[in-house]
Amino acid sequence: MCGIIGCVGRGEETLGTLVHGLSKLEYRGYDSAGVALGGTGGLGVLKRAGEIEALRAALEGRSEFSGSVGIGHTRWSTHGPPTDENAHPHLDCEGRVAVVHNGIIENYQALRDELAGAGHAFESDTDTEVVPHLIEAELAAGSSPEAAFRAAIGRLEGSFAIACLVAGRESVFVARNDSPLVLGIAEGATYLASDVPAFREFTDRVVYLEDGQFAELSPDGWVVTDAAGAVVEPPIETVSWDAEDTGKSGYDHFMLKEIHEQPRALRQCLRGRVDELGGSVTVEELGAFDPERVHLVAAGTSYHAALYGAQLLCADGIPAEAHYAHEYASSPPPAAGATVVGVSQSGETADTLAATREARRRGAATLAVTNTVGSTMARECDETFYIRSGPEIGVAATKTFAGQQTALNLLTQVVSEATPDRDVVSALRDLPGDIQAVLDGSSAEAVAETYLDADAYFFIGRGLNYPVALEGALKMKEISYEHAEGFAAGELKHGPLALVTENTPVFATVVGDDELARKTVGNIKEVEARNAPVVAVTDGESDAGRYADHTLEIPRTNRRTAAIVANVQLQLVSYHTAAKLGRPIDKPRNLAKSVTVE
Amino acid sequence: MEITTGVVLAAGEGTRLRPMTANRPKTMLPAADRPILEHVLDVLVECGIERLCLVVGYRRERVQGHFGHEYRDVPITYVQQRKQLGSAHALEQAEAAVEGPMLVLNGDRVIDERIVGDVLAGFDGGPALAVLEHPTPTQYGAVRVSDGRVSEFVEKPDSEGFRLINAGVYAFESSVFDAIGRTERRGGERRMSDVVGTLMDDGGVRAVETGGLWADATYPWDLLFLMRELLDHGRIAASHGAEDADTDGVWVAESARVHPDATLQPPVVIGPDAEVAAGAVIGPDVAVGRNGTIEANATLEDVLLDGDCRVGAGTTLVDCVAGEGTTLGAGTVVPGGPGDVRVGDTVFEGRRLGAVVADRVTVGGGVTVAPGTLVGANVSIGPGVHASGTIDDDAEVVR
Repeated sequence: MCGIIGCVGRGEETLGTLVHGLSKLEYRGYDSAGVALGGTGGLGVLKRAGEIEALRAALEGRSEFSGSVGIGHTRWSTHGPPTDENAHPHLDCEGRVAVVHNGIIENYQALRDELAGAGHAFESDTDTEVVPHLIEAELAAGSSPEAAFRAAIGRLEGSFAIACLVAGRESVFVARNDSPLVLGIAEGATYLASDVPAFREFTDRVVYLEDGQFAELSPDGWVVTDAAGAVVEPPIETVSWDAEDTGKSGYDHFMLKEIHEQPRALRQCLRGRVDELGGSVTVEELGAFDPERVHLVAAGTSYHAALYGAQLLCADGIPAEAHYAHEYASSPPPAAGATVVGVSQSGETADTLAATREARRRGAATLAVTNTVGSTMARECDETFYIRSGPEIGVAATKTFAGQQTALNLLTQVVSEATPDRDVVSALRDLPGDIQAVLDGSSAEAVAETYLDADAYFFIGRGLNYPVALEGALKMKEISYEHAEGFAAGELKHGPLALVTENTPVFATVVGDDELARKTVGNIKEVEARNAPVVAVTDGESDAGRYADHTLEIPRTNRRTAAIVANVQLQLVSYHTAAKLGRPIDKPRNLAKSVTVE
Repeated sequence: MEITTGVVLAAGEGTRLRPMTANRPKTMLPAADRPILEHVLDVLVECGIERLCLVVGYRRERVQGHFGHEYRDVPITYVQQRKQLGSAHALEQAEAAVEGPMLVLNGDRVIDERIVGDVLAGFDGGPALAVLEHPTPTQYGAVRVSDGRVSEFVEKPDSEGFRLINAGVYAFESSVFDAIGRTERRGGERRMSDVVGTLMDDGGVRAVETGGLWADATYPWDLLFLMRELLDHGRIAASHGAEDADTDGVWVAESARVHPDATLQPPVVIGPDAEVAAGAVIGPDVAVGRNGTIEANATLEDVLLDGDCRVGAGTTLVDCVAGEGTTLGAGTVVPGGPGDVRVGDTVFEGRRLGAVVADRVTVGGGVTVAPGTLVGANVSIGPGVHASGTIDDDAEVVR
């Protein structure tokens, strides 16, 4: 789980290009960072534990550190703690081979034992370090750099995107298996990276490498070869996303910016898909999508969207289940006749990819619901439904969760046997404005201030508001580091109620005034009787507000979209809590935006 | 010396436009099919400005959320004016964010490209401001010019005899920040007009006489005037894709759906994602904002609808402004002006105004609205009510 970058043809700008690229990849990890520079002369490496700023500081005043080709890495620790030694690039014994790697090498222990037995000395705890030593061994046996790189990669099992420099050679060697890797093609220069934003400033023409492919980037250009060494000519695609769409535009954090971007993101998601006067929903991408039953697979926030989507589908008579992707991949349930829907913002989530791959292996039809055009999941699944939320930088997902929920609403309307519910269609049309109304009038900041010293934060809800409770708690955990849990409201009295005290505010989402709402109000009374402060997120239809210490209002709307709107209030509570606690909101400790390891 | 930086003052609420400003500053109120500020930024981009600095304050999230970090490939920096202590105080906030000479203008007024172009061309390193002829200089900063220099500058003069006004478009070197610092506060505020006075004492201010569209909204009904001006000038978003074509004054966004049996009478603009049902008669002088829904047989004339509005079947609207997310139930009748409008303690008589309905108002079916009515934000008006006068924000009107 990491970000890698490389470039050839940038001359004096090589180092600057790498560091710039790393800053754009920080969302993939920020435990440590490093760069290696090479070319026709020697090879130099500089790496540091900590954020990229630490690397920048170490580079200050080192004008002799230069080269015409280079690779760089920003790390999210899997093997070994974040230290200078464990930072990439890693070197061989002689310092003539430098390697950066994203992924996990599953057979590294065996390889390491073998290499150590042959006299190779290791400096780090990482799985990656076996790679430069394998290449060193091949070079010592007389292989050319190309052949040595290919032979070393051939020994690896697991997932990897790898880039390598060999001293004296003005080339970057790369290989991909199960980890994202994309080339950037420009006039006189070639780039490689885990993700497009790393080089988007320099070019919008890209080549996505496939699993098993190799490439060599040199001043003469770039060549892609398959596993057998035959030259392939992959298509050059043009990316439309403005990856520079990354300034904070006046907000203190990307997360707050992205919370405020939700109306705009949902307008993009809904554009051309909802016809209020005609009472219909059409999604071109889902033209052929007609599942008998659905398995939604996802992890983290996307899993909460999947839970929500499964409820919508079930309510409309389509059997649907939501599964944690990692569990689904390792112990898959019977899937006869089920279409498997992978939900992943990045489309690169290793756990979700493992689940959709397992589904494909068993012959199931697959659909990707993702935000990222050209992502691995989009390319591997039979069909793709883009949520069109635009780039999301904050590690804690906000607008893409709303986008996923909205997309799954559209999907449900499309596949539902019944004629579309006009009330739902109107509610979808109203959704961006309803979220704007919450953003314009929320008192979440005052609520956050009131409960800053809480021992824990609990979130409850029933039906469609149960996933909202889970997501509310996850957001609070991720960015505030405070203890938080989400419960189905009815489950509270079966155990968790023992945790409730006067120092544990309970956030209850109550929509409408039907039986479900009245039952949740009953649960509110239960916690209120234990002196816990209650914050009701409600449209004011029920009398939930009477038992609450604070009310976070949402507009009246259909309960399907109300769950999307209610979540925005909880996003704001988490954001303001974390901000008041001084947390690094956009880069919470131990986390990374897109989790590309299993 | 070339100017490539534009500083846009967009921090003020614009209190005289209440109740329309309940959720956003004046700069974000609709000028036909999009916010006033978007027109302003368009002009700057067209004139070759390469860096934008927006001074934001009141409800700044609405500005930042709308434009993000760049507009038409021109990067935007935001600076915050925490307290609204005058226009020069607003400019002062930008000191750390800009370098070298700059163009400074108000973000709440729609102006012609020519005005900005003339000031940029007339800049010779010393301070310059645009002046233009206006029929009622006594309501603005009135200016007298001799030999191309400002010789007299009076805010809202009592006396007649002025011909020119300050257009609110300035070119400055960064030394202007020093001049601001040396300008006395008046009534707690630092105003651009006083800073111009300081610069006149320092060595003079160049007056660039120019002309063209210069349209301001002071009161809510002025938003209708602004819309008519923009429709007349054809200044409708290029993103509608029909700009180069002979539109005959009918602009329909690509993503809008207009039923073939609806009638659009020019000039009229239908925004993105909007829907118009059969039998609706829209125009002349109508702007339907993004995601608006116009149901069957509604009749609209001289109407400005902001985003997300819903107009029920058989509704008649004349001389009407509606804010975001407002729903007008079936059969609502706003027969149109002239009417008397009360703003604070002042009554403006005989204005061409049917009604101003602010953001997120819900109007039940069969409501009639007397000319000159102002309806506050989030108001709910029950079915069959006859509404009139001024209705405060959040009120519920049942009869």
